[in-house]
Amino acid sequence: MTALHAKVAVLGALFGFTVSMVGFADFGELNAMFTFQDTRMLLAFAGGVAVAALGFLLLDPKRPTRTRIHKGVVPGAVLFGAGWAVSGGCPAIPLVQLGAGYLPAIVTLAGVASGMVAYRHLNARYLHIDAGSCSI
Amino acid sequence: MSAEYWPWWLGALAFGALVVAFPLLVGRRLGVSGAWERVLHWKTEREAERADAVLDDMSAFEAALAAETAAAFGAADNEAPGAVATVAAPATPSPEGAPAEVQRRMPLTTQLVLIVSIFAGGLIAALVSGRFEWHTDMGDAFRSIVTGGPLMWVVLFGGGVLVGIGTRMAGGCSSGHGLSGCSRGEPVSLVATAVFFGTAVAVSFLVWKVI
Repeated sequence: MTALHAKVAVLGALFGFTVSMVGFADFGELNAMFTFQDTRMLLAFAGGVAVAALGFLLLDPKRPTRTRIHKGVVPGAVLFGAGWAVSGGCPAIPLVQLGAGYLPAIVTLAGVASGMVAYRHLNARYLHIDAGSCSI
Repeated sequence: MSAEYWPWWLGALAFGALVVAFPLLVGRRLGVSGAWERVLHWKTEREAERADAVLDDMSAFEAALAAETAAAFGAADNEAPGAVATVAAPATPSPEGAPAEVQRRMPLTTQLVLIVSIFAGGLIAALVSGRFEWHTDMGDAFRSIVTGGPLMWVVLFGGGVLVGIGTRMAGGCSSGHGLSGCSRGEPVSLVATAVFFGTAVAVSFLVWKVI
């Protein structure tokens, strides 16, 4: 356990805490956001982007290297959006759902893990999409 | 129920602060799908990490060797009298400061720490807000909007697979593209976020109204 690990642990825990307190682990809140019945979480997310943009501008104005829009971005985002809308999970949310006691989130996580492992094989064999440094 | 959740501005402040603090303190942008990807491929990532370490050692050795050579024999193509000082500068390879922190891969173990700590943060939030409760389903909303039967397991797993494939194909998820990338004004992240959000809106309406 180095200082780096400790920093990641604190920031990661604060992130999980925030995701939970905003309500992203709640499927009802998520569906209400995506169907614009309730704009609270939408504003939290968009507001977060705005606050971060301002923060970067003030604290770390140097721009990172630009990544090109490779051919996997649009189809990948379509699959991700559809999967998120039906399962209520992104790569972080099922962890937070599990933390709130929702046991079936383990199955969502198993799906995410399977998808990622499958994608690596699929990409190596058939797709050959080079995401470059765009692997966040 | 909804009233118990944070107001939008508190969420925005917390998300914004964390997205900025993460790269400043840790040296890499916050992105959860990338962390998963690396932890899931632990064995190959571990090997790559060892190879990188060897390469780092070698380039450090070469740099030291070059500096020593310059010190002992003087720089070949340098007419300035302060040869040693000027040669010493390129010997320490600082890649123009900027992209290094983004490109540089985090130690693999920190990625595992990130995943575990997100779970821990969620657990703490649920406990302090009194929302923690064991469920063998995904809650009332999921039951009424999607399904309550055994189909739930199929939807969760299948949706998870789409998330897994999609985030890696797009090179990021709601944290990496949506929060980190968009706040940096990166075109690739803006496109990815617009597309995954738009798709999620369309599919959510479909699930809510039709199914």
